Amino acid sequence: MLSQYIANGLQAGSITALIGIGFLIIYRTSGFFHFAQGIILTLSAYSVFFLLATGQLNLPLISIIFAILFIYGFGLLMEASIFQPLRGRGASGTTLLIASLGIYIVIQNSISLLFGDDTLSFRWWSVKPGLPLLGARFTTPQIAIILCSWVILVLTWVFIRYSKIGKRIKAVANDPTLARMVGIDVERIYLWAMGLGSALGGIAGILIACDTDIMPTMGMNPFMMGMVAAIIGGNTIWGTAAGALLLGMAKHIGIIWIPTRWQDAITFIILLGFLLFRPQGFSGKRKRKAAV
Amino acid sequence: MNYLLHILILINIYIVLSVSLNLLAGYTGLLSICQAAFYGVGAYATALLSLKAGWPWLGTVAFGIIISGVISVGIGTASLRFRDDYFIIATLAFQVLLYSIMQNWIDLTQGPLGVSGIPQPLILGWQVSSNGGFFLLSLFFSALTFLFVRRIVNAPYGRVLQAIREDDLFALSLGKNVAAYKVSAFVIGAMLAAIAGSVYATYITYIDPTSFTVNESIFILAIVILGGSGSVLGSLAGAVFLVVVPELLRFLGMPSSISANIRQILYGTLLVVCMMWRPQGLIGKYSFQKDGSNR
Repeated sequence: MLSQYIANGLQAGSITALIGIGFLIIYRTSGFFHFAQGIILTLSAYSVFFLLATGQLNLPLISIIFAILFIYGFGLLMEASIFQPLRGRGASGTTLLIASLGIYIVIQNSISLLFGDDTLSFRWWSVKPGLPLLGARFTTPQIAIILCSWVILVLTWVFIRYSKIGKRIKAVANDPTLARMVGIDVERIYLWAMGLGSALGGIAGILIACDTDIMPTMGMNPFMMGMVAAIIGGNTIWGTAAGALLLGMAKHIGIIWIPTRWQDAITFIILLGFLLFRPQGFSGKRKRKAAV
Repeated sequence: MNYLLHILILINIYIVLSVSLNLLAGYTGLLSICQAAFYGVGAYATALLSLKAGWPWLGTVAFGIIISGVISVGIGTASLRFRDDYFIIATLAFQVLLYSIMQNWIDLTQGPLGVSGIPQPLILGWQVSSNGGFFLLSLFFSALTFLFVRRIVNAPYGRVLQAIREDDLFALSLGKNVAAYKVSAFVIGAMLAAIAGSVYATYITYIDPTSFTVNESIFILAIVILGGSGSVLGSLAGAVFLVVVPELLRFLGMPSSISANIRQILYGTLLVVCMMWRPQGLIGKYSFQKDGSNR
């Protein structure tokens, strides 16, 4: 039984890692808590549903690719039409956070107006019993979720570390003023970060929807887990991945001792533990926001 | 007439909630997403004590204020070790935790089923049962909160809070105990929110955890931001506006299933628009620009 819990924890952790990285790229670069990332997950799942289940397009893979492109474009649009003008007015991180919260509320309610509050599903495969592996059972979507997450994670890491744009993203994340001084087009890098982060969130949303059903509020809890993973991971890519695995495992192994209904609370108890006793997260890199 | 009174009672409850949060968010510059949790603490204190222990309503109010104060000392001290976005996330975490307790500690709160049959208050021989009576009751507490907060923000205490909002290092250098001031503002805000919960519980006579969610906290914060941060009058205007407008939609013949969503779309849009063109809100004085950069 334990190995099954570990398997579930691994799955939750993998998706959380992906969400956490998407959040982290935006947070580190643009410097604000982008709550609307939570609705990006939902929006991408609904885009796939719209293309696939309502018969607009009957090719699963093409639908998914279109949905991810749409989410990427949506991220760019959000950045260009809302966050960039706000920054131009000298907005602080708090102002951007409030605007992002507003976007979250608007899109979530628009989705529930358009599609209703009932659970939907775009599953095009038939559900089969899982394959036994190391004493646990993995369904095919579960394996796909775990593999996809880690492949994309590694690709993102490679992109950030070795590509020209990736290096610029890192430069802006470290010090936007200095980056501007050495001639980096900071506004363009904000766009890149928002697009990349949104695409990662979009992929994560679709992966979640492959495993469970979709509904307008589906994005918030996974997003908050991803955000917590980024915070306890100390704002680095691999720290976030480790934090995500920790959260996923705690959530699924924890139910051996704690009733299932407390699962959501576990994430935040871990967050509070880290905030109070190790605010810099796993890594030693200090980005502390302690009060005087 | 009864319907009109119902709207006025709701406005009064939201005035208590938003004015008390304004003390924290508007005057001290600490955006807390935890106000609905304290609202819930007050509501549950009234519901459980009057039903299970037979306490008189005023007694439950006093107990709600005290328990909310005690909890908020802990939450405030812990969250206020952080600033800006980390503070917001810490309060969000506590909001989720308190909600989770209301939802899951079934022996105490009856969980998602909620608590029903909460008795109506008997205050010094006055049995409140009509909407008119509840209107007077809620008006009394909203006026009290309004006057109390307006009094303390204009007192030296409030000026220190505003100094901390503008520049906490400077306030510290003047020898003010910044941490204690911040925690005290957090605690006062939480205690006042508990009163709103007590009034709500005895008026509706039924409560369940869904009234005290993260979304509710965000709604209260939206009232403060849209009405005007750092202005008690702004919170008053914000509460009236955000409670009345959805009701107007209902008059336009919009079914209630849609109007809930429209209401949220409206205030979500307003939040974005407000950040863009008027970050200090309708009649506010503070526009969240203290830090300039977020690093």
